[in-house]
Amino acid sequence: MTPIERFAALAAGRPLDRLPCVPIVGNTAARVIGVRTAEIRRSGELLARAHTAAYRRFGYDVVRVFTDLYVQAEAMGAKVRVPEDETAYLHEPALVDTHDVDRLKPADPGKDGCLPAHREAIARVVDDLGGEAVVTAAVTGPFTNASFLVGAETLARLALREPAVVRHLCEVSLETALRWADAIMDAGASPSITDPMLSSTVVSPRQFREFGLPYLERLVTHIRGRGKAVTLHICGKTRPVWALMADTGADCLSIDNEASLVEAKAAVGKRVRLMGNVPPVAVLFESDPAGVRQAVRTCVREGGDSPRGLVVATGCSLPTETPFANIDAMVRAVDEIGWPPRVTEASA
Amino acid sequence: MSQEESSLLSRLSDAVLAMDEAETVRLAQELLVQRIDPGRGIEAGLVDGMRRAGDLFEREEYFIPELLICSDAMYAGLRVLQPHLPSGAAERKKGIVVIGVVEGDTHDIGKNLVRIMLETAGFEVVDLGRDVPPATFVERAESAGAHIIGLSTLMTTTMGAMSEVIRRLDERQARSRIKVMVGGGPVSQQFANRIGADGYAANASGAVAVATRLRQAPAESRVP
Repeated sequence: MTPIERFAALAAGRPLDRLPCVPIVGNTAARVIGVRTAEIRRSGELLARAHTAAYRRFGYDVVRVFTDLYVQAEAMGAKVRVPEDETAYLHEPALVDTHDVDRLKPADPGKDGCLPAHREAIARVVDDLGGEAVVTAAVTGPFTNASFLVGAETLARLALREPAVVRHLCEVSLETALRWADAIMDAGASPSITDPMLSSTVVSPRQFREFGLPYLERLVTHIRGRGKAVTLHICGKTRPVWALMADTGADCLSIDNEASLVEAKAAVGKRVRLMGNVPPVAVLFESDPAGVRQAVRTCVREGGDSPRGLVVATGCSLPTETPFANIDAMVRAVDEIGWPPRVTEASA
Repeated sequence: MSQEESSLLSRLSDAVLAMDEAETVRLAQELLVQRIDPGRGIEAGLVDGMRRAGDLFEREEYFIPELLICSDAMYAGLRVLQPHLPSGAAERKKGIVVIGVVEGDTHDIGKNLVRIMLETAGFEVVDLGRDVPPATFVERAESAGAHIIGLSTLMTTTMGAMSEVIRRLDERQARSRIKVMVGGGPVSQQFANRIGADGYAANASGAVAVATRLRQAPAESRVP
C-alpha cells in the first residue's frame, strides 16, 4: 500500500498492511543528500530534494517539510540565527518593547523571510510524491509564534499581567498562520500544527483555554474547511489538556514521549487519532536498532488498538544526527508487526 | 517571636504566593517599620512564599507564568529588605553556581527557573544568560570561584557543547573543584552519565536537590 492508501484505509476502518509510521525527520533530511542544514533552510530546491530523498530512503508515510519553528516569526521580524550546519534558533524576538505590538504585521508568504523558499519546496515535493505520500508542512501555532514575537518569558508574564496584549499577539500570529496554511494548501500539501508553548510543562489548562483554544479552533476549522485533516502536536506534558486539544477540532493528536499513550487512548482515543510517541533522543538518537524495535513494540502494544487509530511516530522531531540505521529499524519494526497491530505483553 | 511578627511574616509569604508584588513590597516596608529582623523577613517571609510556589509548581497547580510572577514579587521584596541587612550578617550562601544556556540555544525559561529556585534555596548564582560558549562557562566559573556549573539546553543539537565544557574542565584538572550539573528537555540522566556530568535534574526543584547534594559530597567521592 502507498501511504495515501494506508491513511485512507485507516480512516475508513478497513484493514491495512501495517500502521502508518512517521519518524519525524526534520534537518536529518539534509544528511540524506549530503548538504548543510542552513542550505536546506534557504533553498526551496534543496529542501524539496532533501525531503523527497529522505522519504525514498526510509519509506515512512508522512513527508513533513520542516526546518524549525521560527519561519513564520522570522517573516514577522524576529531575528533567527542560522548556524551553517546546526538547527536554527531564535536570536531576538520581533519586539523589544511590548508597547509596540501595534507595529506587528502578519507575514506575507509570497515575500517575507524564507516562507517563499519553503512554499517552493512544498510544491516541488507535492509534484514528486503527491500521488503516493502524505505531504505536510509545519505551521507554528499562534501562542508559540507569539512567544517568538516578544520572548517566551515576557509572554508568560503577560499571560497573567496583560492578557489583552497576549490576545493581540495571538491574533496577529493567527493571521500569519492562516495565510501560511493557505499557501501550504495552495501548493497541494496539508498543514500540520505544532504549538509547544501550550504544553502543560509551560502553561496551565486555564491558560490553554484562554490563549490556545480559541486561535487553534479557528485555524483548524479553516484548514478542515478546505478538506484537509489536521494533526496537532504539542511537546512535553499534555495530559491535562488532551480534551481541549480534541476540542480544537483536530483529527489527530501527536503526543510527546513524556505523555502516556495508554492514558491518551483512554481519555481521547474515541474522539481523535493518536500519533506518537517513541522517544526521539533516548531511543532513535542514542539507542541501536534492537532498542528501536523494542520501543516501537511497546508503543504499538500501548496504543495500537486506539479506537480512531494510531500513527507510530516519534514523540518529537528527530535530532539532525540520528543514525539512519535507527530510522530504518523503526519502519522495519512497524512492518514486522503488520496487521492487525497487536503486540502481546510477552512479545513486546 | 511576637504574634504580630509571625502574622506579618506569614502575610509576606502569602503575598509572594499570591503573586501580589505591590502587597509584598508594602509588607516588607511594614516589617522594617516594626523593626523586625530583615533576615527573618527574607527567610520566613519571601523565601518561604517562593518555596510554597515551587511546591505548587511541582503539584501542577502553578505553571511557569505563576512561578515567574511569584519570583517578581519575591525579588521586589528582596530589594526592600536586603539594604537593611546588618553588614556582616550571617552568610546564608550555600555555594556559588555559574549557570547558563549553552551555545546554539536561546531557550532560557528553564534556566531562569533554576536560577530563581537556587537563589531561593540560598545559593549565589552567576547567570551568564543564553547562547554561552563553553570557554566562557569555564572562565567565569574560575573567576567567580564557583563550586558548580549549571548547563541548560532545550535543543538536541547543542548537547555536544555540554561535554565540551566538561572536557575543558578536565583539561584544567578543575573537576574536583567545580562540579557540573546538566538539565533541559532532551537531557537525561543517561546522557549526563555518558558525558561524565556530576548531576542531572529534570526540573528546577530537582536542580536545588542536586546542587545541595553536590555541595555536601566530598570532592574525593566523585567516581572518575
